[in-house]
Amino acid sequence: MHRRTFLTLAAAGTLAAPRIAAAAETIKLRELYTKMEEFSDLAQALAGQRVTVEGFMAPPLKAESSFFVLTQRPMATCPFCESETEWPSDILAVYTKRVIDPTPFNVGIDTTGVLELGTYTDPETGFVSRVRLTDATYS
Amino acid sequence: MKRTFTSAAAVLLSSSALMAQDLPQSGSEWFTAGQDTIQQMLERQDNTNRALNVIVMVADGNGVGTNYAIRLFDGQSKDMLGEENVLPYETPAFHSALVKTYNINSQTPDSAPTAGAMNTGVKQRFNLINLGDGAVTEDCTTEAANELTTFAEIVSGEMDKSVGIVSTARLTHATPAAVYAKTAYRNWEDSVPEECTDSRDIATQLIDQMEAGVVDFAMGGGRRHFLPEDVQDEEGGSGRRADGVNLIERAQNDLGAQYAWNTATANELTLDGSAPVLALFEDSHMKYEADRADEDEPSLADMTRMAIETLQNNENGFYLEVEAGRVDHANHGGNAYRTMVDGQEFAQAVAVADEMTDDADTLLIVTADHEHSIAFNGYCGRGTDILGLCYDIDNEGVEHSDELVMADDGKPYPVIGYLNGPGSVLTEQDDGTYSGSRPDVTQEEATDLDYLQQALIPKSSESHSGEDVAVYAKGPFAHLFDGTLEQNVIFHVMHHAVTGGEQADAAQ
Repeated sequence: MHRRTFLTLAAAGTLAAPRIAAAAETIKLRELYTKMEEFSDLAQALAGQRVTVEGFMAPPLKAESSFFVLTQRPMATCPFCESETEWPSDILAVYTKRVIDPTPFNVGIDTTGVLELGTYTDPETGFVSRVRLTDATYS
Repeated sequence: MKRTFTSAAAVLLSSSALMAQDLPQSGSEWFTAGQDTIQQMLERQDNTNRALNVIVMVADGNGVGTNYAIRLFDGQSKDMLGEENVLPYETPAFHSALVKTYNINSQTPDSAPTAGAMNTGVKQRFNLINLGDGAVTEDCTTEAANELTTFAEIVSGEMDKSVGIVSTARLTHATPAAVYAKTAYRNWEDSVPEECTDSRDIATQLIDQMEAGVVDFAMGGGRRHFLPEDVQDEEGGSGRRADGVNLIERAQNDLGAQYAWNTATANELTLDGSAPVLALFEDSHMKYEADRADEDEPSLADMTRMAIETLQNNENGFYLEVEAGRVDHANHGGNAYRTMVDGQEFAQAVAVADEMTDDADTLLIVTADHEHSIAFNGYCGRGTDILGLCYDIDNEGVEHSDELVMADDGKPYPVIGYLNGPGSVLTEQDDGTYSGSRPDVTQEEATDLDYLQQALIPKSSESHSGEDVAVYAKGPFAHLFDGTLEQNVIFHVMHHAVTGGEQADAAQ
């Protein structure tokens, strides 16, 4: 089998048959959702556990905050795609232990926290999230 | 002397077939494949039939470079080395040319005036749609005196052809809007500035053109621009219209249009051409093909099939514009993987359009509106994963060696790079300056769906470039696509094809 085909199949397999990750394992943000934008089996299995998720810190909504949004890819603003800045659907709200020290939007970070599922509206920013990491740290 | 040279060349050419078998390379597969190609080109005959139908298929942002990458990706996903792959529109059955894409006032084009050039026959100013050169971007007072007549208006008038639009972007986005809208600013998708009382937003113009009998079929994304702010759509999104007008209800109630918002409702559409079709599958753009689920929304190939099936009911023919809008968006994001997958789906859509139509009466045009800042590193061996790291050339074999090619910094590098964008190796430092070095990327990381190729100049969104795109075509007057053309010439070939030539048998 050609290497490229193997890699494609391997990636498809990851999406089609969600693995059961150990709590300490680093997961990709996209593994939390299905293509129908529902929580994946992996997300359901890890709910309430401490997990590490790869991603990027979107520019913080407010200064001196202990909240940021983790995006799957850098939160690019594209004037020729959108007429205004929009959140992608596959994001993760992160509530940190300490006030955050923002990282550039395109520098990858690993964020560890307790995975919470379900709709929640942030009282300070009004930001509505479907999935969160709480008590989180990042590096 | 010139005449003598020409004569000598003719003698050489006429005897080339006889001489070929004596050449040491004549047994090579490359040699015989080359001869086969020449034979197919010799058998090509100019089609001077009058076109009953015109289909223009635009992969947004798919310049010659991006298309090269898609060709390799498509081939490698079929277990080929990749370089030898032939996309459906790259066969000798298609004529082709290079296209200069600049706008009146911009070396680097955007999708609004480029699509406008294809739909009106004249180049236009940056960021506006279907207005003449006296118009000024974002100045609505210059709209009325500069409105151009679109190809859709021409063919839906006396010729009584049907018109369709398909896009994976919002239907109010630049490329689909150029089929039906005239506006001083491409971002006026659901509203215009308060002082522009004589102007109409782009979504309103689509429904107006549906009411006028110009547009018969519209399928894509962008539902929010058709709904009032206080209305929640079927998938939980909110409308954006501050004027309180529900354009979907207007289309259904006043125009008798059929409406679909997901795969299930699309499958319930009656595709007999008896009523206009309005399908809005997403709040904003449709999903990237890599992220799409069949049960959620149809693919570009599926939408193309539905459009042609509907429009073919008109015995007077049709004009259809199909856009793969998100090739462009993934390039903007510096994410080559999604660019490739959407480009591969575009190629599938072209194959569907070709299969469903007859070359005798249908001019099928495949092109792009502009290129991006995408570029390619070397020297990589044959079969190197176009999304992965550059592997070295095997001097004794064909496929690349197992050795990675290293840069002077001692690190490997991906084949694809961007000159600018979010994948920049220069990142913002605490003091606001930009610096950095290239990361040491593994093959697994480089071939990940979410990987951003390395870029040089830091920019939140990767940019278009002014580099040429290609145009490929078959059917009536497709042979006019030759050499290096201005983008607005595409309109003139379309127009000549539907007005000139002889009535095709199939059209009688």
